[in-house]
Amino acid sequence: MAIEHATEHAPAPVHGGPDPHATSTGVTNMKLAMWMFLSSDCLFFGAFISAYLLYRGRSEEPPFPEDVYNIPFTSVTSFILLMSSLTMVLSLAAIQRGDYRRLRIWLMATALFGATFIAGQVFEFTEFYREGLTPSTNLFGSTFFVLTGLHGAHVTGGIIWLLSLWGLASQGRLTSADSEKVEVAGLYWHFVDVVWIVIFTVVYLIPE
Amino acid sequence: MADEQQPTETTETEPKRGAVAALEHPGQELEHLAEEHLPPGVTEPAPGLLPGEVRPHPSPLKYVVIALVLVVITAAEVWVSYLEDVIPNGMIIVLLLLFGVLKFSMVAAWYMHLRTDKPIFRNFFVLGVVAAVSLYFVVLLTLHVLD
Repeated sequence: MAIEHATEHAPAPVHGGPDPHATSTGVTNMKLAMWMFLSSDCLFFGAFISAYLLYRGRSEEPPFPEDVYNIPFTSVTSFILLMSSLTMVLSLAAIQRGDYRRLRIWLMATALFGATFIAGQVFEFTEFYREGLTPSTNLFGSTFFVLTGLHGAHVTGGIIWLLSLWGLASQGRLTSADSEKVEVAGLYWHFVDVVWIVIFTVVYLIPE
Repeated sequence: MADEQQPTETTETEPKRGAVAALEHPGQELEHLAEEHLPPGVTEPAPGLLPGEVRPHPSPLKYVVIALVLVVITAAEVWVSYLEDVIPNGMIIVLLLLFGVLKFSMVAAWYMHLRTDKPIFRNFFVLGVVAAVSLYFVVLLTLHVLD
């Protein structure tokens, strides 16, 4: 009898009472899972950055990095990606305030900045191809295209995620109660940004 | 009457915990159990705070100021990379790495909110970064890339 009574009442929390999904870690699973993913992604990107460094200066066939790199152009695309991080945090601030109009604006701005970065990368890859650099040309081409291409794939995934959130926000299905969803998407987006900070410095700027 | 009062006295002198207490006193004990197993601030974060936050996020103005600093550092990075004929390559590499670490830390601390969130997130991220840097540093050292 007591068991039946308990079963009837157990799952229903009192309004405003303890969260039934609360965890022993003291943080929500969604956010912790994202941080664990980002932590593992450090090793993922670290492997490809190391591969680039390992084969740096060992290409026997041209073109070499100094023949194809366009630092001013890549600096502009890096600036655009940095600005997308700003619009991303502004979208989080907007949803926390309940300002849904600005939330939609900043989410779309972030996605557009990301798309501009990808467009720049496609342009860069096309230029490199015209100058004779392909993934199979030499060691530089192989490691460069794999590393920056994988980063570009991450950015593309982030753009799709942001557009999904924008779609939900446009339908009124993203409210202040869903702030954590925007925050987790933001964590992913900022991570993509910090990985580019490393790639821009190590791959493009540091001299051989 | 005596039979009805007996369980109440037992609960007061030796409080039962876990599933037994939950089954015997469903209405009160479940709520109490949930509260006592949760770290403070988890179930009901302070108004305006997200789950896992310790302090409020920075203001939008502060975010803009941080973005400006990041842009200035990026400009300095690009400028330093053009100084190959002016300063030694070793100095350029050190400066570029310093700028890179500074930008990385600023984004992680301010935009990813590691400054204001619970330390468990920072610990996870630092673990990943340190593991990656250590592992690949040893690999590159072993393969004489850093000689």
